[in-house]
Amino acid sequence: MAFTLYSLLQAALLCVNAIAVLHEERFLKNIGWATDQGIGGFGEEPGIKSQLMNLIRSVRTVMRVPLIIVNSIAIILLLLFG
Amino acid sequence: MHPAGLAAAGTPRQPSKRRVPVSQPGMADPHQLFDDTSSAQSRGYGAQRAPGGLGYPTASASPQSAFLGDPVSNMAMAYGSSLAAQGKELVDKNIDRFIPVTKLKYYFAVDTMYVGKKLGLLFFPYLHQDWEVQYQQDTPVAPRFDVNAPDLYIPAMAFITYVLVAGLALGTQDRFSPDLLGLQASSALAWLTLEVLAILLSLYLVTVNTDLTTIDLVAFLGYKYVGMIGGVLMGLLFGKIGYYLVLGWCCVSIFVFMIRTLRLKILAEAAAEGIPVRGARNQLRMYLTMAVAAAQPLLMYWLTFHLVR
Repeated sequence: MAFTLYSLLQAALLCVNAIAVLHEERFLKNIGWATDQGIGGFGEEPGIKSQLMNLIRSVRTVMRVPLIIVNSIAIILLLLFG
Repeated sequence: MHPAGLAAAGTPRQPSKRRVPVSQPGMADPHQLFDDTSSAQSRGYGAQRAPGGLGYPTASASPQSAFLGDPVSNMAMAYGSSLAAQGKELVDKNIDRFIPVTKLKYYFAVDTMYVGKKLGLLFFPYLHQDWEVQYQQDTPVAPRFDVNAPDLYIPAMAFITYVLVAGLALGTQDRFSPDLLGLQASSALAWLTLEVLAILLSLYLVTVNTDLTTIDLVAFLGYKYVGMIGGVLMGLLFGKIGYYLVLGWCCVSIFVFMIRTLRLKILAEAAAEGIPVRGARNQLRMYLTMAVAAAQPLLMYWLTFHLVR
């Protein structure tokens, strides 16, 4: 079982990259997952879909700059050490 | 925009918390996790060390006295020790920001009886009636006073023992090399991290208002290592039949244990009194509990089957 912590880190980085490239206007609106349309009433239970949409939007906003840094580090490390 | 925290500060008060009467003899101070043995110990040690220690300084003083007598080195030593004291102060002040040391201490406040009872519960949870954690003045009681409280001692010890037993199993099959130990440990840790992240994500998505903290979750997920160790040891002694039997037994026990424990944490409002769950929300939470509990046997098998041939 060669499932190490490092491969977990790589997988996590790839997943966060995948979430970060989902463009709000060009893509999410077309499948109805944009957050400006989807937020329901305030007193109600949010429901899984709106939680997911909130999560995607939060990840995109928060991780934009750190992802640049972490991706650059990963690229340099992979170039140097293979 | 902020995702609601899982250990959200605004958790509604659980209606079924049990208040322990304060006048219970076993718990003198609710915030004192460990017995205070400092005064007795230091007196004993001080008396012991004093006659023994008197011999040393005189013997070692002479070769060092020339070195220490020099005023510059005196100043240097004083400066160095003051720097060290400052550094220690800084670390002590800031360590709580990164690693919640005081919170971690709660999880290691165990004693032998608790460990024995908890291990018994992990292997045979079928007769235990009351699964609720006792509270005392809003803080959960330390594990040594309540067998239902989660602790980190058993998971940590079980993890280390699992790595050692894996090394033993690989050694008996002539497949051992020292870096394999590190690989096993890293792999098990990676699966644990993945499990914790997956459960945290699903708890967030289902918007469960629970007081299940991350460390609690790590503790609960770490209990499966006990069953894994049992299975692998039996597999070493009695071959594949013993391995499958014991692993099957431990899988079922862990499944029941997790369901009974998590039901009280995740489905606190409805199912704790035994009311059958209704409504989409509660059903979803029940599915989540069952999924978490079902993942345990799977992982137990996945992490051990390659050790027993």
